[in-house]
Amino acid sequence: MSSRKGQRDAARVVREQIARERRRKRALWATVAAVAVLVIAGLIGWSVFNSQKSDTFTAPPGANDAGTGIVLGSGKVTIDLYEDYLCPVCRKFQETSGPTIDKLVTDGKARVVYHPVAFLNRFSTTEYSTRSSAASGCAAKGGKFKEFTDALFARQPAEGSAGLSNDELIDIGAGVGLNRDDFGSCVRDGTYKPWTEKVTDEAGRAGVTGTPTIKVDGKDVADRSPQGITAAVEAAGK
Amino acid sequence: MTVTATRSLRWPALRLWVATAARLGLAAVWLIAGGAKVGDLAASGRAVNAYQVMPYDLATAIGAALPFVELALGVLLLLGLATRLAAGVSAALLVVFVAGIASAWARGLAIDCGCFGSGGQLAAGRSPSYLPEILRDLGFLALAGILLAWPRTPVSVDGFIAGEPPTEDEDE
Repeated sequence: MSSRKGQRDAARVVREQIARERRRKRALWATVAAVAVLVIAGLIGWSVFNSQKSDTFTAPPGANDAGTGIVLGSGKVTIDLYEDYLCPVCRKFQETSGPTIDKLVTDGKARVVYHPVAFLNRFSTTEYSTRSSAASGCAAKGGKFKEFTDALFARQPAEGSAGLSNDELIDIGAGVGLNRDDFGSCVRDGTYKPWTEKVTDEAGRAGVTGTPTIKVDGKDVADRSPQGITAAVEAAGK
Repeated sequence: MTVTATRSLRWPALRLWVATAARLGLAAVWLIAGGAKVGDLAASGRAVNAYQVMPYDLATAIGAALPFVELALGVLLLLGLATRLAAGVSAALLVVFVAGIASAWARGLAIDCGCFGSGGQLAAGRSPSYLPEILRDLGFLALAGILLAWPRTPVSVDGFIAGEPPTEDEDE
């Protein structure tokens, strides 16, 4: 009687042990699977990012040698402007300090390099930052980069909106004297989108983390007022 | 005697619900954080680069991988698969995030943490909100801590694999 009970107990203990062992194995495999999921997820992100990058780009006419911006003027001091056409602070900066920069350029004191970066694609539903920047490349090809840039800032859409459509961009281009057919097909084909990517990537590499960023001879200018820019250019020109 | 009996009866049940809430809450955090960043991987890389703690190319690689890892963590927690591991990785990531924000604060950088998209340098006139960001991450860290302590929750793949409903003291 008692020995039969003892056998039953022993069998139960063995069964439980086997079951526990099985559970442990399953849990181990679950952990291995989870680790694999996390590692693979990271690799997917990395490869998606790499596949999104284009290897080749063509800089529009009027770009600097590195192809990272459009050069205006030929003064001794270089002003680098990193701006996104969707950035409200950039628009304000253009309104208050734009004329001062224009004057420094026409007076021959400075050359200005516009870097139309696409930092704010998440703040429009249609990647307006990329489209407008690529369109500015088309405008540079037509020799009207500055005029187009001023017109785009004047008609800046709100953050979070769809931005201006390609047709509206083309109308604005035609309005500043660009050839509607050439400019239009350039905008629609996204000819300079790889260039925009290059401009944006190189800006990040240069340590630019926000827009607008203004550099005078490579040094960040904190005071973006007309007086601040003029002072920085004069100090650099000495 | 009766008091301890009722307590020991009620606390395990309550604990299961606390852990379940922590699991689903943390899953939501990761899914939202990853989802907000996954649409613009280059921007995610710039947000990482804005902390200025690593070379640009490494920052862009991490920025590209991070949203996917966050989404994967969210899915693991939502399913309740390898919950303790997912909670541990979550805790480790959150500690890194808190350290990053604290170091940006200490170095006087003016950046957005980029925790839920956005990121990068702040516009002029906007001051950084490092303290709320750190406190928020510490709250998430607490959720991860709860799960590390009590990883077994109802309606989870872990429970299904173990083949038994979670009971009082099954944690191994």
